[in-house]
Amino acid sequence: MGSIQARRLAALLAVPAALSLALSGVTAAQDAVTPDESVTGTVVFWNGYAADGDEITTFRNEVLPAFQAQYPNVTIETQEIPYDDLRQKLVTGLAGGVLPDVLRADIIWVPEFADQGVLLPLDQEMADFDELAAGVFPGPLSTNKWGDHYYGLPLDTNTRIIFANSAVLEAAGISELPATIEDFEAMLATVSESQGEGVYGYAEGGTGAWSVLPWIWTMGGAITDEALTTASGYLNGEGTVAAVTMLKKWLDEGYMSPSILGGGTATSDQFGNGQTATILEGPWMPGIFKNQFPDLDFTFAPVPAGPGGSQSVVGGEDIVVFDSAQDKEAALAFVRHMLSEDSQMAMGKVGQMPVLASLVGNPDLPDYYPTFMEQLKTGNARTPVPAWPSIDEAISNAVLKALRGDMEVQAALDEAAGIVDGLLAENAD
Amino acid sequence: MRLGRRPALRLGRRPPSHPGAVVLAEPWSSRLRRLLPIYGLILPGMLLFAAWALMPILQSFVMSFTDWKLRGDSSFVGLANYMRALDDPLFWRSLSATVGYTVVTVSGQLVLGLGAALLLNEKIHGRSVFRLVYYLPVITSWVIVSLIFVWLYNGQSGVLNWFLHDVLGVIDKNVAWLAEPATALWAIAILGVWKGIGWTMVVYLAGLQGVPHELHEAASIDGAGTWQRFRNITLPFLRTTTTFLLIVLTIGGFSAFISIFVMSTAAVGTLGGPLNSTDVMLTYTWKQAFQEIDLSYGAALSFMVAAVVALISIVEFRFARQQEQA
Repeated sequence: MGSIQARRLAALLAVPAALSLALSGVTAAQDAVTPDESVTGTVVFWNGYAADGDEITTFRNEVLPAFQAQYPNVTIETQEIPYDDLRQKLVTGLAGGVLPDVLRADIIWVPEFADQGVLLPLDQEMADFDELAAGVFPGPLSTNKWGDHYYGLPLDTNTRIIFANSAVLEAAGISELPATIEDFEAMLATVSESQGEGVYGYAEGGTGAWSVLPWIWTMGGAITDEALTTASGYLNGEGTVAAVTMLKKWLDEGYMSPSILGGGTATSDQFGNGQTATILEGPWMPGIFKNQFPDLDFTFAPVPAGPGGSQSVVGGEDIVVFDSAQDKEAALAFVRHMLSEDSQMAMGKVGQMPVLASLVGNPDLPDYYPTFMEQLKTGNARTPVPAWPSIDEAISNAVLKALRGDMEVQAALDEAAGIVDGLLAENAD
Repeated sequence: MRLGRRPALRLGRRPPSHPGAVVLAEPWSSRLRRLLPIYGLILPGMLLFAAWALMPILQSFVMSFTDWKLRGDSSFVGLANYMRALDDPLFWRSLSATVGYTVVTVSGQLVLGLGAALLLNEKIHGRSVFRLVYYLPVITSWVIVSLIFVWLYNGQSGVLNWFLHDVLGVIDKNVAWLAEPATALWAIAILGVWKGIGWTMVVYLAGLQGVPHELHEAASIDGAGTWQRFRNITLPFLRTTTTFLLIVLTIGGFSAFISIFVMSTAAVGTLGGPLNSTDVMLTYTWKQAFQEIDLSYGAALSFMVAAVVALISIVEFRFARQQEQA
């Protein structure tokens, strides 16, 4: 080989060597995340993360940049809208045709919007849907089903469990949190009788479904049958009647705060001020209590078990994609990212409980999560139909009338069952 | 042109005011030149009004005759939405709640506003301070005072309960004013009265300036008592003011929305209040349009509200006209 040829050969060999060196440097710097430049577009994401809390800072500083690193050609425009205004804005947007591409929706909105025909059926649009669905809790997943399709995936979940005020319990001489309904009622009696007026064993803020369903389900009651076609026999069935009768007894005997009738002090305030021994609350409260009542000492327990077991109500948010989204691939890539372990862990640390079964028991999550996640195993979603808000109102009015003594418990629930039957029939088309 | 006659310039075709006057119609070019700047200045405002107020009202009117769907085609259904409203027991209930609310707020504001105006028409020390203080509620934000009143009415820790139960002892148990179906709407109406007294007072003060001193002086010399003087001298002079206030306050009562919306959701969590007792026409309309997402029914309801308000205003106006002529 002549020297010129050797130099050419060396030059030829040098190029791939240099390239591979450069590439390995790049991939090492990005921790083995290969950016996918094939996905392009803009994704408008509306969410209700609290604008002044840890949720939004974690989202903007950790979750979003991780997505951008993976999909550098996708632009995400996020908008935080307070929860109360978010639904209103969505309805207005529906009418005016100005909708986001991706939405962090309250789970109770999904059937409604799916019924309006504005959501993408993700089980058809995503090739890996079955895989993703298998990795999340079944309760939260069920909130995305409407008709024959799934119109979203769960994003974060929560449930209500017993918060117990240690000071009040100690003053009443109670050392152990009751595990059964009978023991719970005995505890209520002890607290309210020993602590005098103004202190109760349990406080609830209203008679809406979110408030009373844990008790209804725990006592073996239900709202509808499995097929969501009828409420008669369920909403006015034995178990539901037993639950409402029990609540009425607690109210009449003074075991439970009158705030359940509405217009009273917020249960969190009653709890923080030592006016109630227990409340049912969600995973966002410890952080709030830390700020509002820093000296408050409290513990957690699952809902006391009754004839129906220990059952609580599932809340949370689902992530949905609107069918008006221009850049579908980009939107779906964002959905996948929000359901990745990294994103779920990051948001999980700031009160957004993850929906991935693989993260149960993960030591990096806040230490108060385990009781919530245990309760989620038997968590029930509220009836996933578009008419849910009206059903909620019917239940709330019936329980309120029964508690006030305006109607007998059975009669009030019979009336509600009739109303809900009508609402369910309207849906069955 | 006849000599000695002044030409009279007239617009249009009005007959001359005196015989022999010569009418010169204004040439259209100078009329245009005169009117153009006027219309030009009005036009931007009119366009904005047409776009943001008139167009939506007309669209809503058209919508009320269809079964408007968010997606897909809507079809014309004629008067179906209006007939549905007439058959809807919740609509009638909201109408009666609205009428009750309006009666309480209008009479409260008229009586208390007139009382305040009469008192503050006298020359007393600090009169302008009192007038200012009584007027302040009028300029407060509805949302903020509604939330404050929710706190006042709180069933466990509210100031009203503390005052009535702990201080005065007139009630034996704390009452959740906004959660009791019997009291909720009236509690909200009290807020409406409180907020409007100052405005009514100001209007009445203006009206009272038109009552001649001399009549009062003459009457008291003749031995007429305060009430007689008030009834026979002051009130007749306040008739037009009262008519005006009656109509405006009635419209205001029927338009009540913010305080009821904020107070029922803040206190009880539901828009209709405890057992739907605080559902007034506008909150019911809002619920149908935006909670049930039935926009065409909501549109029809809103026009029903407008029709009721118009009807009542006409009746009040006619009644007042009759009183005047009597």
